[in-house]
Amino acid sequence: MLTARDIMTADVVTISGSATVAEAVKLMKEKGLRALIVEPRSDRDPYSIVTETDIVYKVAAFGDDPKKMRVFEIMTKPCITVSPDLGVEYVARLFANTKTRRAPVIEGKLLGIISISDILNKSDFVEKPVQLFIEDRIDAAREDARTICAAKGATAPECAAAWDIVEELQAAASHKRQAEA
Amino acid sequence: MMRAKDIMTREVVTISGSATIAEAVNLMKDRGLRALIVEPRSDRDPYGIVTETDIVYKVAAYGHDPKKMRVFEIMTKPCITVSPDLGVEYLARLFANTKTRRAPVVKDGLKGIVSISDVMHKSDFAEKPKTYFELYCEENPSALEARMYDD
Repeated sequence: MLTARDIMTADVVTISGSATVAEAVKLMKEKGLRALIVEPRSDRDPYSIVTETDIVYKVAAFGDDPKKMRVFEIMTKPCITVSPDLGVEYVARLFANTKTRRAPVIEGKLLGIISISDILNKSDFVEKPVQLFIEDRIDAAREDARTICAAKGATAPECAAAWDIVEELQAAASHKRQAEA
Repeated sequence: MMRAKDIMTREVVTISGSATIAEAVNLMKDRGLRALIVEPRSDRDPYGIVTETDIVYKVAAYGHDPKKMRVFEIMTKPCITVSPDLGVEYLARLFANTKTRRAPVVKDGLKGIVSISDVMHKSDFAEKPKTYFELYCEENPSALEARMYDD
């Protein structure tokens, strides 16, 4: 399974929360970036992020002067952070569940940034789609099969069909393990 | 005032709603795009759009096989479309109000696509921020409120 580390962008640019939005815009334009990370001020302070969406939705949309607004007024803090060892499929699920598109990759310090574009362009979800929680699904299917067979009898067609589902899932799981190896 | 047509990206790639997600991903990777437009099937049919967010949130996040899913299952249709003459300040407000990041620019056919990145990188909102009152005065030079500024 590919992890966040494999597909993240290691080149991250940080900005201070007290910088003006105009400075953030200039930095993003120069470097061709869609987001900047705001580093914690102390050990207990969380990471935060300011994205082009924040700037367009909260500044440009209201005609506010970016030279008079500051990053801390529009940034997301605390922001969702990702461990470099998180599987790409879990990153995708986390992003979908939290409506996130971009997050810093942190392990002790800032290692990079990961976005939905990285998932689309660098991960192998098209070639090797991975179903999450497949072991849990096998357990659930096995319990279902036992219940059905106890109720309908071991020779009933429903019982055979239920065990077929278990076998299909097991085959998918072993295929997944082979793909990872 | 800058308009959508001044900042839009003219090169737009379209895809059929019946194409597979795998085909859409390949096309997006090849061309370096974040969205594809699904053209109307007839005069009465609306425009649709499929973005990288749709693909990651609805396919990759669930481990569905992109070769077995089709664009129409995850696309946004009808999607918000903008006129090439819409001012970029209004475009930013429309995007903020509708939580949209990207929309086709349509007037007698597909003219381009405009995104929040275009607003960020090509518009002059940072150099020349305009309040709504200033916009209103610019568009209605004969309005009383606007004329007061002439003196």
